[in-house]
Amino acid sequence: MTVASKRAPRSAAGLSDRALAGLLLLAPALVLLVLVAYPSALAVLSSLFHVDFVTGARRSPGGANYLTVFTDPAIRAATWRTIAWSVGNLAIQVVAGVACALVLNAGLRGQTLARGLVLFPYMVPAVVATLIFRYLFNDVTGLVNYLSQQVGLIDQPVNFLGDPDTVLPTLILVNCWKYTPFITLIVLARLQTVPRSLYDAARLDGAGRLALFRSITLPWIAPSLLAAALLRTIWTAYDFDLPYLLAYGGPVDASTTLAIQIRKVAFDQQDIGLASALSVCFAILLVAAAVPYVRSFRRSEQWMR
Amino acid sequence: MTAAPATLVRRLVTVAGWNDRPGAPAASGGPGPKRRRPRGAFRLGQYAALAVILAMVDLPLLWMVLTSVRPDQDIVQYPPQLVPRSLTLDNFRTLFADGAFTRYLVNSGLLAVGSTVVTLVLGVFAAYAVARFGRRFRIARWFGELSLLAYLIPGILLLVPIAQLVNGAGLANQPPVLIVLYAAHMLPFAIWVLRSYFRGETVDLEEAAMVDGCSRFGALRRVVLPQALPGLVSTGVFVFNMAWSEYMFAATFLTEQSKLTLSVGVSNLLDETGVNSWGLIMAAGVVTVLPPLILYVLAQRRLVEGLGEGAVR
Repeated sequence: MTVASKRAPRSAAGLSDRALAGLLLLAPALVLLVLVAYPSALAVLSSLFHVDFVTGARRSPGGANYLTVFTDPAIRAATWRTIAWSVGNLAIQVVAGVACALVLNAGLRGQTLARGLVLFPYMVPAVVATLIFRYLFNDVTGLVNYLSQQVGLIDQPVNFLGDPDTVLPTLILVNCWKYTPFITLIVLARLQTVPRSLYDAARLDGAGRLALFRSITLPWIAPSLLAAALLRTIWTAYDFDLPYLLAYGGPVDASTTLAIQIRKVAFDQQDIGLASALSVCFAILLVAAAVPYVRSFRRSEQWMR
Repeated sequence: MTAAPATLVRRLVTVAGWNDRPGAPAASGGPGPKRRRPRGAFRLGQYAALAVILAMVDLPLLWMVLTSVRPDQDIVQYPPQLVPRSLTLDNFRTLFADGAFTRYLVNSGLLAVGSTVVTLVLGVFAAYAVARFGRRFRIARWFGELSLLAYLIPGILLLVPIAQLVNGAGLANQPPVLIVLYAAHMLPFAIWVLRSYFRGETVDLEEAAMVDGCSRFGALRRVVLPQALPGLVSTGVFVFNMAWSEYMFAATFLTEQSKLTLSVGVSNLLDETGVNSWGLIMAAGVVTVLPPLILYVLAQRRLVEGLGEGAVR
């Protein structure tokens, strides 16, 4: 067997392994270069110029783009909204995701079926989630308004997606509906690897349920949870489809996050240079946001050793 | 000691690659025999919690299905009728009577299938090269690491330059552009999932086949790919769903009415008719959500089977 692997310079059709590796990687590398690497570089380049929207020609250096990013009130407002959107989403998704995973791992009857059902929203296209929740939250026939009024939560119908005060919290709830299953699934997989002996030993020491969770379960799931939370933070902060489809950034910009702002600047205001500068700054923000996660991720992994 | 960024990213993607085996948690769960079963009030509370979770998660979907099969005059009743009084398929008939929706459905189907095929083919090439030659050739190793970094770049950050690129080349309204775009987006994920299937036992089997006279491509086709089938299926489902659901790039690059996908077409439909005919809108939602859900359910079973056969790992 080793004969074939170590001393077979010629493999398929007389190609050397090196040529074969290069040949196999050619198309994938080309695709990633043209559609990821080159656009990344182009964004940095465009951010330094005023770019003509129609011809794409770069004119006059535009260091002012970056100045605008930091002074424009609309961009500043969108930045705060993005932070509120991301923090709100993550706080709810982490807590709800862990809670769901614990319930689904408790050995209840119908557990396997429940696990399958809980994952459904993650598979639902953003546009379908939009249809469902625009219907549920509408202020004329919407079920949410009806039920909330029935139980006395509100006195009058609320236009959840049409009121600047309620639109962002509503978007966060819908987003949590769709994406909490991701956290649940990862935590669930991790929960199944907790060694029973740890619990048994702690129980002998007289630990209660809460103590078991805090001293064993939580530290055990922490690395997976943190990694999942980091990914979700990135994907949530930059998410476009769901918030845009639900409210198109409105009413009066009340749900315009940076992702939506970038598109608006680029295609409505037709300012490619500014949109690129905003993208570059937003990318840097991503790296900054990742640092605390990476730190606690390492700390939580050390606990494992 | 500082982990190289790529190492961390790799760990993250391992976690993100949960759908590597969606069947696994469901298949292996359950309490061990030694586990103490809690009783009484706490147990009851757990069941109540499960009921609340399932209601919150799945009732919105159920409400969509229910609304789609009710006549409009029932839907606009207030207070809403929680239990349907009469059922009808009229909404679906209306939906398909006008050819536009069928057009969107076909477009989305072609786009999703095309993206899946392209991603899987390129993914198999790259993952095979990285798994087999990564140890010997630096280029293959670097490709494996760098492609993972590419996975973390959010689409919105590339929207503007890609739009410059596509519109500059006069390629707007060309669906194949979106196929390649989706493939580029999902390729790193595909490589990551697939390469784990190209290692371990598979290498021995492949080498045995080559000693027995198989060419490398013959061994790839007869030995390696069948071994990697669960990985191909789960990656395929994931790519299909992404391409089927994507809105931002599709809305930017497809503007001709006859080229629209479901995501774009259905959201337009909502803006045009939503308030008047929720039944029609919900019918569109049901049709749109079915392929991803069916695929998920089918693939989950396939994966559990694959694991049961003990083919890989």
